[in-house]
Amino acid sequence: MKLLFIEDEPVLLEEMVNYFSSNGCICEQAKNYDQAMIKINSHRYDGIVVDITLPDGSGMDLIPQIRSTQSDTGIMIVSAKNSLGDKIQGLNTGADDYLTKPFYLEELNARINALYRRKSLKGNEIITFDNFSIDTGSKELYYNDLPINLTKKEFLLLIYFVINKNRVVGKASIAEHIWGDNYGDADNFDAIYVHLMNLRKKLIQVSGKDYIKTVWGMGYKFVS
Amino acid sequence: MKLLSRTIINYFWLTIGVLLVTGFLLYGFLYLQIYEEIKEQLQLQESMVTKEISQGRKVNFPLVKTEIVPTEHLMINPVFKDTLIYDDIQKKDEGYYILRQPRLINGQVYMIEVMTTHIGWDGYSKAIIFIFVLIAIMIVVVGSIINYFSNRKLLWPFLQNLERLKLYSVSSNEKLELVGSNISEFKEFNLAINELTERAKGEYQALKEFTENASHEIQTPLSIVRTRLESISQYPLDEDMARYISDAKAAIGRLSKVNKGLLLLAKIENQVFPDEGALDLKKTILQQVEQLEDIIKHRNIDLKLELTAHEVKASPLLMEVLISNLLSNMLDYATPGATSTIKLDNNGFTFSNPGYPLDFEESKLFTRFGKKKVGYTGNGLGLPIVKQVCKRYRWDITYRFDRGYHVFKIVFLPAVDQ
Repeated sequence: MKLLFIEDEPVLLEEMVNYFSSNGCICEQAKNYDQAMIKINSHRYDGIVVDITLPDGSGMDLIPQIRSTQSDTGIMIVSAKNSLGDKIQGLNTGADDYLTKPFYLEELNARINALYRRKSLKGNEIITFDNFSIDTGSKELYYNDLPINLTKKEFLLLIYFVINKNRVVGKASIAEHIWGDNYGDADNFDAIYVHLMNLRKKLIQVSGKDYIKTVWGMGYKFVS
Repeated sequence: MKLLSRTIINYFWLTIGVLLVTGFLLYGFLYLQIYEEIKEQLQLQESMVTKEISQGRKVNFPLVKTEIVPTEHLMINPVFKDTLIYDDIQKKDEGYYILRQPRLINGQVYMIEVMTTHIGWDGYSKAIIFIFVLIAIMIVVVGSIINYFSNRKLLWPFLQNLERLKLYSVSSNEKLELVGSNISEFKEFNLAINELTERAKGEYQALKEFTENASHEIQTPLSIVRTRLESISQYPLDEDMARYISDAKAAIGRLSKVNKGLLLLAKIENQVFPDEGALDLKKTILQQVEQLEDIIKHRNIDLKLELTAHEVKASPLLMEVLISNLLSNMLDYATPGATSTIKLDNNGFTFSNPGYPLDFEESKLFTRFGKKKVGYTGNGLGLPIVKQVCKRYRWDITYRFDRGYHVFKIVFLPAVDQ
């Protein structure tokens, strides 16, 4: 996957580039509007992450520009402004999704992957790990072509973990992914715990391998 | 006491006072006049009697007495005084004036005594008092009525403006419209009030913008801290370090929630929500409940829904926020195992759940950061946000604690300008 990150805050840029690179993505970066314009006009990307407030312009103005030349590119707005107006304007001018700062890199990753599957792979991607394959379209999990019954929440958890494999994922990050902003509280994590343990058991049952490791005090890590 | 009653009462006492004083003056003045007049009349009568005697005629008038007295009586001063004389016809004593004067006539000293009645002086004073009381009553009653109506007319713009001021909030976008008046004090008052509200509004606006800008500015540093903490989490950590980082992450989580809440509050008041449209509130409630199914089950809460489809014109986002905050609040305080209820009909909706009574003042329920409960983990903005959303749509929200149940009741009010 080839990605472009347009972000003026160096630490965030570094964090995003580091994480997505470690996941095997080719990452490019632009720190301002002008740099972004040059990159957009000279390369094709599978996904572009745009910050709205840039020192020399608005990321919002970049979106129609990207859309006019790269129709399959997933465009993700990240903004410090949790503004519905911005969100609607962004989506209307061609962006695919909107994420408000502060966000979890895992969430950004999950969303960019979803966009990538939907747009570049036309929704047909099968994610595989070891002998497992996840059909993201029909929302089913197979082990050596044998279907494994997962509940909706277990499936959501599995995708989140697989997309962010080998990364310690915090409880708050998981809670926010499952329940969104309104209830995504670490306090509510206990209610997910049951689902997580069921998923873990189901995976162990068929493969004999424990994929979901508890990292003490930190969260969970999907290891494959 | 009302201004109107106050002025009328003042007017009443003033009238009474003026009438009493003028009444006494009139009485006194008339009394003196009549006294002098009677005295003159008696003196005239006495001189006529003297004349009659000096001409050697026998004086035999009613109410006149003449008597020959020793010479030394001539030295006695004339006497003018009141006396009582029995009236055979009316069978009672009547007041008379009497003038007794010694006179030397033809070498003899006569004591001449003339009398006259009070000429119904009693009747006069009664008539005067009666008329004055009548005048007093008429002035007070008629005057008060006229005063009341004219004052009311005069004060009408003031009272009207007072009502408008009571209903006015500097947070609203509407301009304060005051009723004009041609009384210069009221004009000045209106000017001063308008200036004051405009200034307050400006300051309020600035404060809101400040909150919004500050919240925005905080988001980026928060992002940096959060991503850095997540990155540190990727390294093998010992127990202590893991605990420190986990605490720091939890604090960042809370800070970010408070910040988002503040931002949302500022926005609800400030902004147009471009997604406003007709939506079925029942669907919103069902969606939110479904989303929370696990948590409801996990906390062992028996949630009963009594929902009738009802369409409202509102922002779906704000409705989600409203319902989710009420629901979160319910989940946080409901007694496990007991039945909590959400009801929706065409008039409004209620969230009721059993629980312990509030351990803080009820008035703090809807204020920002109003709750300071031990172990409280919310961001202190849930119910203020609920209140703000209701205010935006002019819905009336009330809280009551009724037989062990916390009840939040929202009544849809007919939207005025939508």
